[in-house]
Amino acid sequence: MNVRTRLKRRALGIVAAAGLGLAFAAGALAADRPSKAKPPETPQLLEKGSVVYFQRCSFCHGLLGDGEGPAAAFLDPRPRDFTLGTYKFRTTQSGKLPTDEDLFRTVSRGLPGTAMQAFDNELIKNGLSEEERWAVIAYIKTFAREFNDPQFDPYKQTVALPQNLPAMSEATIAKGKEVFEHAKCWECHGKQGRGDGQKAFDRTDDWGFPIRIRNVTHPWKIKGGDTVEDIYMRFSTGINGTPMPSFVEGVKSAEDRWALATYIKSLQHKLTEHQVLRPLRIEGEVPLIPEDPAWAKAPPMDVRLAGQVVVPPRWQNPSVDFATVRAVANDKEISFLVHWDDPFKDVVHKDDQEFNPKDIAKVGAYNSYVDPYKMVPRKLETFRDAVALQFPVKRPEGTKKPHFLRGDASNPVHLWVWKADLEEQGKRSVEEAIARGWKQPAKAQAETQQQVSGKALWKEGRWSVVMKRPLITEDRSDIQFVPGVFIPMSLNLWDGSNGEHGLAMAISTWHYVFLEAPTPVRVYGYSAFAVLATGLVGFGLMKKVQKESKT
Amino acid sequence: MSAGRDMAKPRVNRFWSTVGAFVVIYALVKWGIPAASREVTGLPFPLPVPGALVFIYMTLAVVALAILVTFSDEYLNEFVGPVKKFLRGDYGRVPRMVVLVAMPLLVGWQVYAVTVPDVAVPASLRIQHPSSNFPKSFETLKNPLASPSDADVQAFIEQAKANTVAFIPQVAADVKRWREANAGKHALDFIPTSPMKKFVAALKSDSVDQSTAKAALLEKTLFEGRALYAMNCRACHGDSTAGDGPMADGFKLRPINFTDNGTIETIVEGYTFWRVTNGGPGLPTEATPWDSAMPEWKLSLTEEERWKIIFAEYDLAQKTPRIPESH
Repeated sequence: MNVRTRLKRRALGIVAAAGLGLAFAAGALAADRPSKAKPPETPQLLEKGSVVYFQRCSFCHGLLGDGEGPAAAFLDPRPRDFTLGTYKFRTTQSGKLPTDEDLFRTVSRGLPGTAMQAFDNELIKNGLSEEERWAVIAYIKTFAREFNDPQFDPYKQTVALPQNLPAMSEATIAKGKEVFEHAKCWECHGKQGRGDGQKAFDRTDDWGFPIRIRNVTHPWKIKGGDTVEDIYMRFSTGINGTPMPSFVEGVKSAEDRWALATYIKSLQHKLTEHQVLRPLRIEGEVPLIPEDPAWAKAPPMDVRLAGQVVVPPRWQNPSVDFATVRAVANDKEISFLVHWDDPFKDVVHKDDQEFNPKDIAKVGAYNSYVDPYKMVPRKLETFRDAVALQFPVKRPEGTKKPHFLRGDASNPVHLWVWKADLEEQGKRSVEEAIARGWKQPAKAQAETQQQVSGKALWKEGRWSVVMKRPLITEDRSDIQFVPGVFIPMSLNLWDGSNGEHGLAMAISTWHYVFLEAPTPVRVYGYSAFAVLATGLVGFGLMKKVQKESKT
Repeated sequence: MSAGRDMAKPRVNRFWSTVGAFVVIYALVKWGIPAASREVTGLPFPLPVPGALVFIYMTLAVVALAILVTFSDEYLNEFVGPVKKFLRGDYGRVPRMVVLVAMPLLVGWQVYAVTVPDVAVPASLRIQHPSSNFPKSFETLKNPLASPSDADVQAFIEQAKANTVAFIPQVAADVKRWREANAGKHALDFIPTSPMKKFVAALKSDSVDQSTAKAALLEKTLFEGRALYAMNCRACHGDSTAGDGPMADGFKLRPINFTDNGTIETIVEGYTFWRVTNGGPGLPTEATPWDSAMPEWKLSLTEEERWKIIFAEYDLAQKTPRIPESH
């Protein structure tokens, strides 16, 4: 396969991805609004709705619509309690009921970042038809009597999307930034929008559950939708049941609110797509501290994280869902920088608060997932923040690797575990450890084998952790960073104040680190020979033809 | 007139027709086949022809064209004529120089591209439904809950009459609260599907038959299976079994979308049970067990819980398992 076919393939891939993206975008748009008129709320429709509700909704929202279904206790955010008639995502004024179309939209496209997923049958093959969605909405409304009371009619209090507003541009973004400062959005959402503006941790919403201030830079987690229009609606309607107010009074001009929405949109992070981390090659010393300007030149790789749901105790509520990794290497050492957003700096660890998973880690236990409200303390000053880089002990041959969750007895993995409490105490903050599967905790290596040094910084809701090691070591259980080899790497990550410790953590699957190898000299030799040979043949032929024509 | 037009028709030189044929064949392989593949597969993207296959096709094309060109001396001369003219400089000395310099560079570039070490990520070819270590004993395994025995059905009827139908602990609390809030209704009325409604009506009129009761018992099993699915599997496979749960984006090997054709409907129930039971660690090497996040559910769920989940999973995905072949 030559370069051309490779490029071509990449182009085809892009075209295919774009095609899929377009198809999805079109589908998503189709989901927003019903294509047909809403059917009348007849007893037959309600009956149909009750069956749909029972089959598709009750396991989270409960048979009584009170948000207490069997799966609810394990979810954060909790499923909505329909009996209160308090709905977060609306196009109506603050504190009011949602319109039927608002509910249609939520059922159709789900709430990103939560367990509430899209139910549109154009997005999901076995999803709900428009009529089924209307039926289940009619049924859900029967749970709260406010919907029957004409004085609460949501259609009399809607908030319209302004018309003829300027498209998103440098100017609207700059204007929006001013509004962000002026309206003090940063008091909660933080200067960088990472949700780190509030010191208070234990605040609760109207339902009594912990409040997490939205990190507005992660669009895939913005429940009400990530478009400029969606964002505009959120500060024009507020989010009922939470401290997020409507800014209709605070920011009177619709145009200013629109500019603010474009600014928020401009803060949204775009995830990198590649799975290979290519360290930046430099001549001098590799960076040791997170503030080093050299990091800016190293290409980033975003690593998506999921909750550790593979083995008990299972954890489906990780607060960190991606980390960005960079690396810089010279011919002796390699240095990694991992950074992720975390609004609370957790630098204390109390062993005696750790949770014993024994009861949920057996066959036929009620559930093997951790109940985030009852089983683990989720508060400040309890568990540390931490991150681990994981490599196989043996460089894999072919594609065979240890399992991404800590390997197993015959395929061990090597972990570089950075711990915030050690960092805070001024001790060596990275510990090298070996794991042989998840059943036993990773075992720290002997003092003489500890060769990774670490340095970290928490600033404006973001951890930046540097870990440095010689490329090659004497230790036989260390991965050796040899150029030209794809070295598997994955992440484990803990947010202490989210109750995470032990196997209750965020994990990634395998990615790769690849140090560029210098191109072998023979490649240039072959190429030069090919040029020369072809050239000689060409000119030889020319001479021959010229000679023939003369005779 | 017509004869004159035939005479006037410009005859394409054999050199250019040969080059043209080569280009057309290349275009067909490169773009024509992928374009046609979209029509055949119905997928929203084309399937490119692999590079090695393109090479084979083009080699065959060169051989065929060479045979054609060397068919007779006359053909050969006609083909070689323009080349010779070009090399003599009849088409200009500058174009000749450009081609004579560009050709070696082009060849050199291609040689470089072929010999330079490839830095593509190691391809991980994966077999989705491996059979190398699939135990024969699972092949004909049937879901015991899908066809309850007459005795089970009879027991269910007795329990329903005595109002003592027991549910798994995971749903018991929710059912209890529903019953407290709906004291006037029958204890099974919280299941609003028609088989259960029919059964409850039959109970009231004391006219229960075996098949009505069996259908209702299956509704109860489905109810419990759906709850267990929502508690255990939903985080990855999604609440509609579309492989899009909240955890799905974190796994490079995405959770399977059961609503897709070619997933759970192409395998027998016993295979599904085996996969749920042994998870990723139970896979053979060709199915890359190290990338699979599928849990080894035998460590957490009882056999009955696993069968309930499988029963509900097929129902939710609107699929039926493949029927085992009789041996």
